[in-house]
Amino acid sequence: MIDFEPHYRRVEQLIYAWARAIDEDRVEHIAELLFDDGRYTVKSRFNHDRGLPLAVIDAQSAAQLRDRILSMRKANVYQPQHYRHMLSGVHIASGDDNTFEVTHNFLIVRTMDLSGDMKIFATGQCHDLIVLTPEGAKFKERLFLFDSRVVETLMVIPL
Amino acid sequence: MCPLDHPLNTPPKPQTAPTSAPGASLARAWPKEGFTRAPYWVYLDSQTYANEQTHIFRGAHWHYVGLEVEVPNPGDYKTTYIGEQSVVLTRADDHSLNVVVNRCAHRGNMVCREPFGKAKKLYCVYHAWSFTLKGDLSHAAFSQGLRGEGGLPKDFALGDHGLQKCRVATLCGLVFATFSDKTPPLEEWLGEVAVGIKRVLNRPLKVLGYDTQRIHANWKTYHENPRDSYHANILHTFYGTFGLSRMSQESGMVLDQAGRHVYFYTKAGTEKKSADYEATTSQLRSHNDGLKLEDSSILGWKDEFGDGVSVQILSTYPGFVLHQIAHSLATRQICPKGVGQTDLVWTYFGFADDDEAMTQKRLVQTNLAGSAGMVSVEDAAVCEMMQHAMADAQVGESFIEMGGKDLDIQGSSKLSERAIRNFWHHYKEDMGL
Repeated sequence: MIDFEPHYRRVEQLIYAWARAIDEDRVEHIAELLFDDGRYTVKSRFNHDRGLPLAVIDAQSAAQLRDRILSMRKANVYQPQHYRHMLSGVHIASGDDNTFEVTHNFLIVRTMDLSGDMKIFATGQCHDLIVLTPEGAKFKERLFLFDSRVVETLMVIPL
Repeated sequence: MCPLDHPLNTPPKPQTAPTSAPGASLARAWPKEGFTRAPYWVYLDSQTYANEQTHIFRGAHWHYVGLEVEVPNPGDYKTTYIGEQSVVLTRADDHSLNVVVNRCAHRGNMVCREPFGKAKKLYCVYHAWSFTLKGDLSHAAFSQGLRGEGGLPKDFALGDHGLQKCRVATLCGLVFATFSDKTPPLEEWLGEVAVGIKRVLNRPLKVLGYDTQRIHANWKTYHENPRDSYHANILHTFYGTFGLSRMSQESGMVLDQAGRHVYFYTKAGTEKKSADYEATTSQLRSHNDGLKLEDSSILGWKDEFGDGVSVQILSTYPGFVLHQIAHSLATRQICPKGVGQTDLVWTYFGFADDDEAMTQKRLVQTNLAGSAGMVSVEDAAVCEMMQHAMADAQVGESFIEMGGKDLDIQGSSKLSERAIRNFWHHYKEDMGL
């Protein structure tokens, strides 16, 4: 039985760094936390529970994630908005010396700039594959499973 | 000009506000121009919304409720909606498809509460009334009473108390239902637009998954959107931003004879140089030279239907869309949820005989459409911004004269709003407005 205790801090810091980058509108930074051949997926629990493969976001490399962020910045039109991530229950479910399967809960509140409306935008569980390298921890895979079958209006900022 | 040259208090431009006395209810008159205008009250008025449920959603039209492949076997059911009414699509023991109102014939409780399920009968938990998969009442608990007391009247007939049934019709695996006996046969109702359905849905389907967008706007703001080919390359700047502009491609618009339904198509690889095009695009917001996608592989497309059409958006009155965006295939069902909310349900699918590589191509192109679609995420935003801008909707109307003032179904230019004019024409007729 491997003792994961010494690794919790690095794993948590990586997870927080992703959320903080989005909440602070430094979204470009999250692509640096994903391996070049990493995968970032956002999928409804509704599809997942039914064994259906469809995801609303599926970036199959850091390059694809950068493209999505560039599209958000330069091409897409949406009402100005911000997220706030509340993360809890970080749990290293399995792993070896440097690769860990990690889960945690997320709750994201979306606030609209113009109206000030605030709404719970998404809750769910995130499934990560995190690798510790000499240069630091990075995500190999991130799967955000959001609880509702519904997306409020649109999801243009990544979770 | 110096800002101070402007009068600081510009007199308001006179608007054609209803001049009713204070306290009197507002006149709900359609602008005299007819279907080239849509008054904003029509998106916000609760009595109008209620009338739509009666005259459109329970009227003589076919409403998309699902795919045959969602209920492949006897006992399979899907809970969905026609307008605001919850209905259940079932596959009965004789393999027939049935659509029944999801409301017990006894005291009105919801019968099915799972989005999808499998059942031998439709069972109401409140008083254990149960119905066959075709909606006929088969049993009512304690119908004979107990120890000679209670029970249903002697003249009670099971046959009079089934779930309300809809007529059902299918085309190429799509299932439609209607509450009305007057709705013409499905293919007749679809007219020429059936061609666009048959073109894409040419063999058995396989569901890949669902996506629902909750849009805080009246359902008609979304219904107009896929009928509106004028906005496509203007609002949706993904292609233009990344140097993939397509306005000059060969494209067209097909309406049925009645003008209720429409599809647009675009053929890839048919870009033509034209001075008009160059002059216009250089002014578009989307014109943004120099930006490139790092990985454009997600846009990859091969002509799977053999006719060069890379994008087809098909829309039937009042609440169904079928899209082919490269290899992404989906239906969209417009579910009104009150005057100011719409659930847009996307069902993505491929073909049963797709190999894994093809399935992956379809899945990765989900990144382009839907609630997080990089190409068209703007649509839901515009619906909400329109609704917001309508404010109390007592004044104002939209102007719908791009490409002319008539319903003319000739010609195929996509720079035309005639599919929207045709929508309002039918809407006015259905609503008696």
